[in-house]
Amino acid sequence: MDVVLVDRLQFAFTIMFHYLFPIGTMGIAPFIAFYTLRALRGADEEAERAAHFWTKIFAVNFAAGVVTGIPMEFQFGTNWAQFSLKTGSVIGQPLAMEGIYAFFLESVFLGVLLYGKGRVSPNLHAASAVLVWLGSWLSGFFIVATDAWMQHPVGYAIAPNGRIELRSLAAVLLNPFAWWQYLHVMCGALVAGGFIVAGVGAYYLLARRNESFGRRFVAAGALTAFVFSALTIFPTGDRNGADVTHDQPIKLAAMEGLFESTEGAPLAIIGMPDTHAKTLIDPIFVPDFLSFLAYGNFKANVKGLTAYATQLWPPVELTYYAYHVMVGLGTIFLAATALAVLMLWRRRLFESRWLLWILMLLMPFPYIGNEAGWIVTEVGRQPWIVYGLMKTTQASSPNVVAGETIFTLIGFLGMYFVLGVLFLYLTLREIASGPAGHDESAHATAEVPG
Amino acid sequence: MSVVAFIVLAVMLTVYVLLDGYDLGVAAIAPLVARADDERAACMSSIGPFWNGNEVWLVAAGGTLFALFPVAYAVAFSGFYLPFVVVLWLLIFRGIALEVRGHFASAIWHDFWDFAFSASSALLILLFGVALGNLLRGLPLSPQGYFLGTFAYLLNPYALAVGIFAVAALMQHGTTFLAMRVDGPPALRARALFSVLWWIVLALYAIVTVATALERDFFAHLAGWVAAMPILSLAALLWTRAAMQRTREGAAFVASCAFVASLLVTAAGTIFPYLLPSFPAASHRGLSIYDASPSATALATALTVTIAGLIAVVVYTSSVARRMAGKIAVNDR
Repeated sequence: MDVVLVDRLQFAFTIMFHYLFPIGTMGIAPFIAFYTLRALRGADEEAERAAHFWTKIFAVNFAAGVVTGIPMEFQFGTNWAQFSLKTGSVIGQPLAMEGIYAFFLESVFLGVLLYGKGRVSPNLHAASAVLVWLGSWLSGFFIVATDAWMQHPVGYAIAPNGRIELRSLAAVLLNPFAWWQYLHVMCGALVAGGFIVAGVGAYYLLARRNESFGRRFVAAGALTAFVFSALTIFPTGDRNGADVTHDQPIKLAAMEGLFESTEGAPLAIIGMPDTHAKTLIDPIFVPDFLSFLAYGNFKANVKGLTAYATQLWPPVELTYYAYHVMVGLGTIFLAATALAVLMLWRRRLFESRWLLWILMLLMPFPYIGNEAGWIVTEVGRQPWIVYGLMKTTQASSPNVVAGETIFTLIGFLGMYFVLGVLFLYLTLREIASGPAGHDESAHATAEVPG
Repeated sequence: MSVVAFIVLAVMLTVYVLLDGYDLGVAAIAPLVARADDERAACMSSIGPFWNGNEVWLVAAGGTLFALFPVAYAVAFSGFYLPFVVVLWLLIFRGIALEVRGHFASAIWHDFWDFAFSASSALLILLFGVALGNLLRGLPLSPQGYFLGTFAYLLNPYALAVGIFAVAALMQHGTTFLAMRVDGPPALRARALFSVLWWIVLALYAIVTVATALERDFFAHLAGWVAAMPILSLAALLWTRAAMQRTREGAAFVASCAFVASLLVTAAGTIFPYLLPSFPAASHRGLSIYDASPSATALATALTVTIAGLIAVVVYTSSVARRMAGKIAVNDR
């Protein structure tokens, strides 16, 4: 078996599993800060309970994120030694900064948020909520900056020994590719956060318990999900797409399933790519629209996959489907939350059980949307590990064989299965016990005298 | 500049061992000092708020190693592929056990998670110790620095001795922390355990020091200050005992930190200037800090960013830790 294939499977599995938890932390953190600051301002006991409730959910996400994040930090070295050797001078920088500037911040102040009530001043306690938010979002920035460098390398020089050496850290962090990507990723996390909060609220309203909290959560979550669903599409998704069009035209062609270069290229809403016949089967097109999206001109020429050698194609089917899943879900999120916001404005949302059902059932789908977006980004980057500079096939560890990585992949599968079951059990139990309950024993390690 | 980078990395790893060392140590001694369920819960609570932050030092040190010495990061982690992944699994398992224990009400689950937590922690200390032992002893390396030996090779008697010493030293470190943070029977048993452990640590310390001196051809190759470090270590060890006997647990914990830190400084000084010394270590070959550094620009950038960030971290972490200090009583939950 090809060791690079197993390495890629292992990376895909561990990163996609890991990313489920940062979606939760980055998406929920702003809500915790919001409720904590509300509670600080006035006698809003409900906001205080809401903050505490979401902090507990956040903590479960954070712990799962930490334990699954540690293997990510080291997997570049264990499975991708040649990649680390060649590019470590550059990508070691944002990864080290993530640990020192973001991860410390998040973990230290989460400790204050969870255990500091009554020990530190209310102001510091509330500030911790904001710092945890800042930490989780900074963490996301450094990771996206690392990825953006692999998509669009800048600020480097190639040394005589073939290694890629850092020339300017500022250029790496200010990579134009990174910023729209970062904003797009954060909007995606907030859509997820909004749907989590709204979904839990909808569950309470449908179950007719904790109804006062339910109304708050549905309103806050649906509004957030609506605003950021819109921002995910425009401008962040649009600008991110423009960067891809400019820097990675083959990825664009694979995303859209466009095989032949076309003037006035149509946008495929659905259809199945056939890479042998080099065509899209049973498509439904919007004429000329892809040219408009890519270049702002309905008659512009968009290059298709056949304009490039097949060795430079990414896996077309996966890139195409992941992209269409992401866009399709994004559209559904916008429609559903627009409806929810309209009903909220007309003061009929909390009584519309059918719409609450929709909000509750949509809760898992932003996770799929976020993961699908990353599949487009990373699978669409193939065959490059660093776009234009280094092929993925040249990046693995020279002395690690497929047998070893299959063994560790199986180990990770088993370990993460157990972790996933525990995570779901703990999260569902927190939701079941609810924000109003006095079930403080749920967090036994938290109990310290104050 | 590579020397400064080596020092920064050594300091980060030392801080990691001091901090995560006490929570690993508490986990390893928990079955010995905590019998009743609420006593075990108190042990867990004593480290609950801190272990995450402590483990961040390992993650940060990993990232910093990547930035400061990318070559060492690449060849070391892929060279020791299986042992390294086992360490990762133990870290995951231990984190899960600590986090979820309090969420289960049943005693049968508590038994399970307590065992998982203590066993994985003790095993982690042993593996960290064995890894350090192998670094001190030197390793068979390819010219690029890749490890050429086998898993079994790593379990040589010298490295195992260092591993066992590490378990004893961090268990002792854990007793001082527990005595400082917890009240009631666990604290009393921790003190009793300390007085036994202390002699074991002393004996193992003597054995490992002599063995290292023989292994490394100590006096011929080492800087004078490294050769003088054992005096400091012994002084710290005696101070720990004296403070513990006078029931000044805070001082005992500080002294124990000094002892563990002095050991790590000695180890770093012994290995320097190598990150991966070749076997036999006295041959003065292997992957040195000069082979493993990136370009001067990259190294200078990484050092500036790391040092500035760490200063900020130390400032806010210590200020938060001061506000959060206090004892935990067993029946307080």
